[in-house]
Amino acid sequence: MNRPAIGGRLKEFQQGEVERILGACTRCGKCYEVCPMAQYAKPPAGNGRSVVPGVLAVLRGEAGSPEALGWIAVCTRSGVCVPACPENVDPKMMMRLARMTALGGRGQAAQIESKQDRDYFDRIRAFARLQLSDGELKDWT
Amino acid sequence: MSPVTFWYGCNVLRHGDIIHSCLDILRALGFEPAAVGGPDYCCGSVKDVNQGTAGGMATRTVGKLNQRAAPVVAWCPSCHSHMHDFMERANDRHFDITYLVDLLHASRAKLAPLLVQPVPMRVIVHQHVGFNELVPVNRMVPELLRLIPGVDVAEAGYTAPGYMCASFAALPKAMDDINNNTVRAARAAGADAVVTMFHQCYRELVGLDAAGAVPVYNYIQLIARSMGLPYTDDYKAWKRAGMIGPDGIAKVGIEFYERAIVPELKKRPNLR
Repeated sequence: MNRPAIGGRLKEFQQGEVERILGACTRCGKCYEVCPMAQYAKPPAGNGRSVVPGVLAVLRGEAGSPEALGWIAVCTRSGVCVPACPENVDPKMMMRLARMTALGGRGQAAQIESKQDRDYFDRIRAFARLQLSDGELKDWT
Repeated sequence: MSPVTFWYGCNVLRHGDIIHSCLDILRALGFEPAAVGGPDYCCGSVKDVNQGTAGGMATRTVGKLNQRAAPVVAWCPSCHSHMHDFMERANDRHFDITYLVDLLHASRAKLAPLLVQPVPMRVIVHQHVGFNELVPVNRMVPELLRLIPGVDVAEAGYTAPGYMCASFAALPKAMDDINNNTVRAARAAGADAVVTMFHQCYRELVGLDAAGAVPVYNYIQLIARSMGLPYTDDYKAWKRAGMIGPDGIAKVGIEFYERAIVPELKKRPNLR
């Protein structure tokens, strides 16, 4: 029996979004210009028109420019890019997918550093043991 | 009583008082909440580095919430936005979902008479530019706080980037700016305290409290106080002390405690 791949529908949805974004973005750079996190990107980009093509390259599975990777690395989902986009691209989704891709999360080679916390879930479980009763731990988690 | 699933998320498990208070508040508003959360109900948003895993987690969690056959009330902004942005796009969601702030705001007429204890405090509300487009929390949370007798909500005059503070753990310069701008905003407003909306912000900004810069609360804690709910904020006590007590250490194990918990509790903001 053929079983669907784990997360297969998510991958299909994401690929559909990548294709939509690549087709819709005009590289005008408005998303970068309004981004409150751009000031923290290293190296800084000169302007939006120069940095966005590097983001789209990442989405295509290609190498991103250092400026694009620097911007992708500091995206914290502010979302002010969404209403700024004249083409209704949803740049927040663009940057989220670019981040996943640049981290190596969509199957391509990683291009930005991943700061994985090996204790992430165990820390949550530890705090749960400190905060919940045995019955709550059994019934809620 | 109307059954709901209270999907609290993962990291709020640091703050048992918030979870317990939310459940009491929901009960007082006429709901019958069943709480679910922790890693087994993770939305997968923390797995950007592995979308195969993230997709599996999303499918599992949507499936478990489907089985509960009750409307879902989400606490965590990451879970709530991830549900709308990704989880429900790749899975068949069979439940209605709302965000707790939305529900409380819609229940203001029932909530207001429950807020009987005065909480004399001038506060600013810590807000971000993000998430507000999904749920207008930057308007709703101050309106909820103004229902509490004694609470005076001042204009903060500062909105942080991003959608919550935990995203900035790997961006120390930006987090330093948030901490310092928050303290400046509180002082400029003559505020007694900073009030956060999300546990991810509370976890970070309570460091300002521990450092003596400004008292910090989550909005649920002020609602709970006004309702006379009895829960204590253990996390703030641990953060102030930089440690947990021996019983707690025994529960989590000394090696794990020293490696994974002490650094978090001892972390303090870099104030300029």
